Amino acid sequence: MTHDAMIDEWYPVGLFSQLDTNARKTALMGRPIEVAVEAEGHARVTSGDGRSLPVCVRYGHVWSSLGKPQKDLFAIPEADQPGRTLVDVGVIRVRCSPLRAVENFLDIAHFPFVHTDILGAEPHTEVQDYKVEVRQDADEVWATQVKFYQPQAAKSASGGITTEYMYRVPAPTCCVLYKTCPPRPGEWDVITLFVQPLAEDLCDVWPWMALFDDATPMTDLIHFQQTIFLQDRSILENQIPRLLPLDPGMEIPTRADLTSVAYRRWLKRHNYTYGAQLVAQ
Amino acid sequence: MPARTPVGPIALWRSQSGRAAASADRCPHRGMRLSHGFVRGEALSCIYHGWSYARAGNCLRIPAHPGLAPPETIRVPTHEVEECDGVIWVAVGEATAQPPRLQGVVPLRSLTAHAAVAAIEAAAGAKAGVDGFAWQPQSKLQIRLLLVPQGAEETLIHVLLDDDSSLSQRIAASRAVETLRRTAEDLETKATAP
Ligand code: FES
Ligand SMILES: [Fe+2]
Repeated sequence: MTHDAMIDEWYPVGLFSQLDTNARKTALMGRPIEVAVEAEGHARVTSGDGRSLPVCVRYGHVWSSLGKPQKDLFAIPEADQPGRTLVDVGVIRVRCSPLRAVENFLDIAHFPFVHTDILGAEPHTEVQDYKVEVRQDADEVWATQVKFYQPQAAKSASGGITTEYMYRVPAPTCCVLYKTCPPRPGEWDVITLFVQPLAEDLCDVWPWMALFDDATPMTDLIHFQQTIFLQDRSILENQIPRLLPLDPGMEIPTRADLTSVAYRRWLKRHNYTYGAQLVAQ
Repeated sequence: MPARTPVGPIALWRSQSGRAAASADRCPHRGMRLSHGFVRGEALSCIYHGWSYARAGNCLRIPAHPGLAPPETIRVPTHEVEECDGVIWVAVGEATAQPPRLQGVVPLRSLTAHAAVAAIEAAAGAKAGVDGFAWQPQSKLQIRLLLVPQGAEETLIHVLLDDDSSLSQRIAASRAVETLRRTAEDLETKATAP
C-alpha cells in the first residue's frame, strides 16, 4: 500500500452520546476498528490487530486516526459560543468516495435541482461570483461571499431569502459551512460535514450543527438535515467514476465550481489521495 | 432511462416531440448519470446541476450561468437511434445499415436473463441473426426474439409476437419465454459450474 498523507489525519468514528462499553464495530480506510466509551467516560478506539489508536472527543464525535496526527483536531470556535443548539444529526452511509461527499457539500449550484423548493428553486439558478482562497496560515480552503436565493434556507426560515455562505475545508474529509442565521442577523449558523472514510469508495457521513435556533424541536432539526443528505446521496451514488478525479480534463468545471477546483488542487498538492482517481480513464 | 450496450451504459430518452435519442450515461460536468435526468422540450437535463443537452449532444444551457452560451466543446457523446416497428435501435459506432424491418409483429415484453446469448440460443435451438430469431415453442405460437448482451453474463430478451395474436396467445408466449429463460439460466449454471 502506498503511503497516503491522509493516514495521519483525524476522522470521526462515532457519536460520543451514542457509544457505551459495547464496542461499535466499524472501519477506517479499509481497516476494521472498534470504538467504545468506557464506564469512566473515556473513549477508546482499537484497530483490528489490537493496537490502541489515537483518540479525541470533539463536536459531539469521537475522532481517531490510523497514523500519527501531527496536530490537534481543527478548531471551530463557534462550537463553544453560548446560546447555540448543538445537533448530532447521526450517520448516513454513502457508497461513494469520501472526497466526492465533501465536494458535493461545497457545491451550491445543485440546490435548485437536488434540494428543490428547500435550498433552491428554478428559475433562481444563477451562481454569482464568490471568492476562493487557500489560507496559508491555517492551510485551509475557504470560499466566501457565496450568495444564493433559497425558498427555505433553514428550519427557522419562513419564505424565500438570499442566503450568504462561507465554506471552510480544514481537513481532507471535513467541511465547515457558515450560513446566514435568520433569527440572529450578524451571526452565522454552523453546519459541518464530517466524513469517515470506510473505504476509498464507501463512507459514513456525520453532519453536525451548532445553530442559533431554540424554537425548532431537535427532532425537526435532525429530520431537516437528514432529508437534505438523503437527496445528496441519490446523486453521490450515481456519479461516474466513484472516485474523485484529480486530473483536470476528466470533468468540466465552470466559474461556479471554483471551490471544487481549489479543493481538488489542495488535495493533490498535499497528496491527500485516498478516494481520489489520479489518472484519467 | 438507462440501457446497457456493448459500448457501455447509455441514457435513452424521448424528446417532447417524440423523438428517441441516446447519449453516454455520464454528464461531462461532474460525472452524474444522465439517465437520472429529466426531459424538457427537445433537451435532456442532468439532475445534478441542470446542464441540458440537445439530441446531438451539445450543451445548450448551464443554469448556474444563465447569461453564458455554453462553448461548443462541452458535449456528451451520442449514439444514432432509429425507431421502427415498435423497436428502438441504438447504433454502436457508425451505423452502416438501417435496422432490420420486423413487419407484422408487435413488441410484447422485455426481460433479463442471467445467461449469455449462447445459452439462450442453445435453449431455444436457434441461432440469432441481426433480426434475432423466430422461435416456435408450440404449434400456433410464432415468437420473434431479439437478444442484447448485457455484459458477459446477462442478456436482455425482447419478445415480439404476430400483431394479430389473441390475448391467450400473448399469455402463452410470455410463459414460454419465461420457461426459456429458466432453461437457459440452468444451462449457464451447468456450464460455469466447476
Ligand atoms: S453533473 Fe451534470 S450538470 Fe453537473
Ligand atoms: Fe446537497
